[in-house]
Amino acid sequence: MAIVDAGTAIADQPAHMHEPTGWFTQYVWSQDHKVIAIQYGITAIFVGLVALVLSGLMRLQLGFPETFHFIDPNAYLQFVTMHGMIMVIYLLTALLLGGFGNYLIPLMLGARDMVFPYMNMLSFWTYLLSVLILLASFFVTGGPTGAGWTLYPPQAILDGTPGADMGIILMLMSLAVFIVAFTMGGLNYITTILQARTHGMSLMRMPLAIWGIFVATALGLLAFPALLVSAIMMTLDKLLGSSFFMPAIVSLGEKLDYAGGSPVLFQHLFWFFGHPEVYIVALPAFGMVSEVLSVHARKNIFGYRMMVWAIVAIGLLSFVVWAHHMYVSGMSPVFGYFFATTTLIIAVPTAIKVYNWVLTLWRGNIHLTVPMLFAIGFIFTFTHGGLTGLFLGNVVIDLPLSDTYFVVGHFHMVMGVSPIMVLFAAIYHWFPLISGKKLHDGMGKWHFWITFLGTYAIYLPMHYLGFLGVPRRYYAMGDTGFTDTSVQSLNAGITVSALIVGVAQLIFIFNLIYTVRNGKKCERNPWHAASLEWQPAVYPPPHGNWGDKLPIVYRWAYDYSVPDVQQDYIPQNVPQDAINELSKPRGKSL
Amino acid sequence: MGIQTVDESHEVSSLAKYFKVWILLFVLSAFSYMVDLFQLQGYLRWTLVLMFMMLKAAFILSVFMHLGLERFALKTLVLLPPGAILVLILFMAVEGQYTTQSREFNFSQLWQQEILDFKDHHSPSE
Amino acid sequence: MQSQSNTSSLQSLVDDWSAEKQAFQVPWGKLMMWIFLLSDTFIFSIFLTAYMNVRISATAPWPNTSEVFALTIGGIHLPLILIAIMTFVLISSSGTMALAVNYAYKNNKKLAVKLMLATAFLGAMFVSMQAFEWSKLISEGVRPWSNPLGAEQFGACFFMITGFHGVHVSAGVIYLCIVAAKILAGHYDGRSLHIVEITGLYWHFVDLVWVFIFALFYLW
Ligand code: HEM
Ligand SMILES: [Cu+2]
Repeated sequence: MAIVDAGTAIADQPAHMHEPTGWFTQYVWSQDHKVIAIQYGITAIFVGLVALVLSGLMRLQLGFPETFHFIDPNAYLQFVTMHGMIMVIYLLTALLLGGFGNYLIPLMLGARDMVFPYMNMLSFWTYLLSVLILLASFFVTGGPTGAGWTLYPPQAILDGTPGADMGIILMLMSLAVFIVAFTMGGLNYITTILQARTHGMSLMRMPLAIWGIFVATALGLLAFPALLVSAIMMTLDKLLGSSFFMPAIVSLGEKLDYAGGSPVLFQHLFWFFGHPEVYIVALPAFGMVSEVLSVHARKNIFGYRMMVWAIVAIGLLSFVVWAHHMYVSGMSPVFGYFFATTTLIIAVPTAIKVYNWVLTLWRGNIHLTVPMLFAIGFIFTFTHGGLTGLFLGNVVIDLPLSDTYFVVGHFHMVMGVSPIMVLFAAIYHWFPLISGKKLHDGMGKWHFWITFLGTYAIYLPMHYLGFLGVPRRYYAMGDTGFTDTSVQSLNAGITVSALIVGVAQLIFIFNLIYTVRNGKKCERNPWHAASLEWQPAVYPPPHGNWGDKLPIVYRWAYDYSVPDVQQDYIPQNVPQDAINELSKPRGKSL
Repeated sequence: MGIQTVDESHEVSSLAKYFKVWILLFVLSAFSYMVDLFQLQGYLRWTLVLMFMMLKAAFILSVFMHLGLERFALKTLVLLPPGAILVLILFMAVEGQYTTQSREFNFSQLWQQEILDFKDHHSPSE
Repeated sequence: MQSQSNTSSLQSLVDDWSAEKQAFQVPWGKLMMWIFLLSDTFIFSIFLTAYMNVRISATAPWPNTSEVFALTIGGIHLPLILIAIMTFVLISSSGTMALAVNYAYKNNKKLAVKLMLATAFLGAMFVSMQAFEWSKLISEGVRPWSNPLGAEQFGACFFMITGFHGVHVSAGVIYLCIVAAKILAGHYDGRSLHIVEITGLYWHFVDLVWVFIFALFYLW
């Protein structure tokens, strides 16, 4: 007996069920995945700009110490913390999954929407709430927390750390709310990918972008609990005075009322979340960049199956490497062997992916469009960041380099700049689909070259600073005298580059606004992409995406440069018969 | 479209089975309570407590939550990911031991004496 | 299409994952609940793992739970008795829930709703007993920040873990009542009552967590 389950089967229903009833339900309380994606995107880019300004302020202080008197050491630490946290969680996680995840999943899979659109909408509003709570901490007494984005106790909640009274509480609250938002969205993404694909769309025909988003979301659902639990425990330590993470402490000459807790426990829990978080950010980027590379090189992605299994393997392994962030924490010294080994093992699937991207380009018909430039830029930055990661994964090399600018250089290359490169590639690539208009090419190229070269000007010298022993999270080097005088001039140079890169982002913002207002309608499927999201009749696709009939999928998403067919590619929803008609008689079968 | 089929196995499972498992759960709970009542200690206590715990969990999962009736794919989906937690548990147990050990060492008189000796021998030259 | 192979063979696993359209032959809501519970499993496991670590590394001695949670009823000193009763209540509620699911699939709406309300009632009973237990401990001076009986983490872990579990039970009671009301209001008429099974999954999960808390917190 078949059971009709109309209550939940919205993503599968004819389009009319999705018609919004008014302006308000169309753009504000919208349950349409595309609108929600754009809401997520705009919010994330907005907080991202806040974080960018903060990094500019930090760079001003570091490049030209004793010039900017409104930046005191407390403010510096608060900037570092908010910058890091916003970038990792509220920009990258939200934009990659809430933004692109939402936009691409139903379109790439041939569904009409997410399986639970109402919950999807709630997810965005909850996310917005978490952002507001986070931003509110700038305006409370004591300001936002300055504990570093890792929020390590005991110092995170002790007097003397900036924002130790209200800031840290708001931060923990905001994170908890974010996790609720993520869970509501994430359950939707996973269920949609597993259950609501269209005819013919088997898992092994899904575009790699979906694979990346899928595994990243799964990681999120299993890793965020660790952050939630540690946030709750730290809140209790702060508000009720329990001692989960707090040992007996003498602070400012006074014995505090804590005893017997374990600060190292927090670090373990934090990184049990934190390392998967790195891949939550990286995997969707891996997937999306694969799409861009394949389309603009007019070649199928090299080693599709290998790419899928690499994503899955990275996802699995990311749960057993967390303590490589803790070599200097005072944890049990025997852990080093295990975690160094697993860390080096996880480099294998990662390297496979890099080889496959390069091999996709190999002898491809490369079009150096703006998205392609950013995608190739990503291969560079990610390889560089990944290589320094191999160094840091080894205990003996990490010991002297830990907490220096070498680490700052490493993680910015690998999880800062690289996903940002992909995000830009993705925005330039999918903008015609989202708005029906192509972003301005000239501005795009300027944006790319300044960002790409600027990135190297900023972060390469940071590695060198690390070798010189410049510590991370320092407001100023002052008269310590253990670093060379060249440090200061390097720092000034980095700051100038950072400011240029920062300002260059205005080109991008301007380009967005300019194109939306003045851009011409572009042709349908301007990049001649084969994957399903480009196949709807109108851009942007209407509510319900597909009109009366869902598309049927006959092939994978990467049939490019196919010999003897009319155009050089075959969209996923074109059946074999149709190709035979289009192609010349001697057309070989696919 | 919009139609989802479910296998009917859930409906046929007889009431008798639920009652049996229900009673079994009561019995297992009573057993684990008795472990405490008779104050069994050491490895015996641990084996019994964990065994009853796992048995109860298994019955709830497989019968009450119908996992036993689900297809293999769903079983693996539910049962495999918690493996990640086992790794965490293992390491946190070791870490806990290490923390205790280092506390015992550092808080002991012996160590404080060593510091004092060290200070005596290496007092900074004024 | 999914093959008709034996539902528990390795082949069925491969078939399901390589199928088009959907990987699991269950309704969306049910799959989503399972995945949510998986995520929730991680939350509770990490709470318990943190408790384990803190307990192992605590410097002060851990109180003897057997004694702390003992009651004297009618002149007889019974260790852990309240916890035992709570366990029985929660298991009973799981039983009534299982029956509710069964009757829902037999389309016996009335009985299903009655059993769900019975489940909710037992759940509420569990929470009230927990409240009693909390007040007993508080009256003995145990606090999240201090503990006259030994390690101060004892109180902190106790209130945190049972509190978080209690919140889940309370949420479950509300959830059950809402679903029961919706069924009575005819919201699901003409459709399958999957929702009862989905609610049931959540409820059994709460019971499942209690099994672990009972063993690891009270019996350790
Ligand atoms: C123009 C772009 C950027 C610049 C100039 C910049 C600059 C900085 C600076 C100066 C610091 C502080 C270093 C210290 O004092 O220890 C920092 C920290 C950090 N940044 Fe960035 N950053 C940029 C982009 C990003 C992006 C895209 C991410 C995304 C992952 C990111 C993540 C972080 C993190 C996680 C920290 C560490 C915060 C902490 O130590 O608690 N940054 N960044
Ligand atoms: Cu890591």
